[in-house]
Amino acid sequence: MWCGLYSNDNAVVDINGTIGELKMNIRAQMFCVWSGLGFALLFLVAIWPTADFMPPLAPSLSADAIAEIYRSNTLSIRFGALLMMAASGLMCPFVAVITIQMQRIEGSPPILSYAQLSAGTLNVVFFILPSLIWTIAAFRPERDPQLTLMLNDFAWIVFLMPFTTFIVQNFVFGITVLSDKRERPIFPRWLGYFNFWVAVLFIPGGLLTFFKLGPFAWNGLFVWWIPFSVFLAWYIVMFTMLRAAVSQQAIDEEGSAPA
Amino acid sequence: MSDPNEARTASAQHLPGEAGVWMFIVGDLVIFTLLFAVFLYYRADNVPLFTESQRTLNQTYGAVNTLLLLSSSWFVALAVQGARIGERLNALRLIALAFGCGVGFIGIKYFEYSEKFRAGYNIVTNDFFMYYFLTTGIHLVHVVIGMAVLAFLWHTTRGGEIDAGELSTLESGASFWHLVDILWIALFALLYMLR
Repeated sequence: MWCGLYSNDNAVVDINGTIGELKMNIRAQMFCVWSGLGFALLFLVAIWPTADFMPPLAPSLSADAIAEIYRSNTLSIRFGALLMMAASGLMCPFVAVITIQMQRIEGSPPILSYAQLSAGTLNVVFFILPSLIWTIAAFRPERDPQLTLMLNDFAWIVFLMPFTTFIVQNFVFGITVLSDKRERPIFPRWLGYFNFWVAVLFIPGGLLTFFKLGPFAWNGLFVWWIPFSVFLAWYIVMFTMLRAAVSQQAIDEEGSAPA
Repeated sequence: MSDPNEARTASAQHLPGEAGVWMFIVGDLVIFTLLFAVFLYYRADNVPLFTESQRTLNQTYGAVNTLLLLSSSWFVALAVQGARIGERLNALRLIALAFGCGVGFIGIKYFEYSEKFRAGYNIVTNDFFMYYFLTTGIHLVHVVIGMAVLAFLWHTTRGGEIDAGELSTLESGASFWHLVDILWIALFALLYMLR
């Protein structure tokens, strides 16, 4: 753990070496912060202008209508899925920097940081897996429409239904932010409550299992439009706050802001 | 929580609890407002179906639950007032009472839901029952979270003399419980009473 750098038993470390390592660490953390923003932007480009999944393919469409979309948009769906898969990897460094900043609050043992790490890591799966399934659906668009319909259902449900790990990630992060007892907390307290709010908004995702029409279907207000916008907003808010936290850490521990 | 003594001593802009809680509360209210708007939009499409389905609801259950939540809100408000003047044991008792009302609410919801299921109504019966089960279900999740908050407040209050930080926690939790109450009142009006 990098905190070890500043613990007393490391007092013998050459002071220049320590500062050098800290600079590296801050720079690496900043890379991780920016990769989160990179993910959000690439994901948006993949799903919207590239694959043309905005609004999502309606669950009420017939097999023939769905198959026709895959036949006429084959290349754009392939590119969109490819781009989304490429973007998904960038979630990992972002989860890592959240974990590290949470550890600063928690100290040892950083149990909630680890809960966040495991939930955040699992979330990546729900972006990679649907892009693979969309790829499979668009791989042989000439096949039986019923099969394409099944693959399409498979992709959208895997993409939009798994709310549980998202809620855990937001919730444990929020709790940790609120538990920060230092005089100038690493994150503002409202960020904790903001995360609780985001967690609540992911709950209706689970309801898509019951509906093919209306606000709780997978293309509806409460399953698609609100969670999708809030998810992107969460990335932008978290990006801003993490960037501020890492900059502040550099000032506090080194006496200068990162380049 | 409009204690006149408090109003005289504290600043005129005193916000119960911390600002962040209010961000959550307003955010949650925005979502429920959308939910209500969507309900009214679909209701306007098919008023006969909605009023006819509404007639199958048991208004007594709804009314008793409204009373339970209103009383629990009152208990929580009294508990905060008590905590402000150092009546810790009284506050503890009141929080426990409010929690008890929450248990009663869930119990009644259990009877109400099972009665509906037995009569053959469920989430896919029609648009009215979809909104009935979804909105009351999402609200029920709020009740459960609110009861966890009440349990936490009880634990905080039990721990000894209440300092300013703990009082703020108490106010924040109480504000959330009032949100649970006010959402139910809106739901009761929309689902059970609206003609």
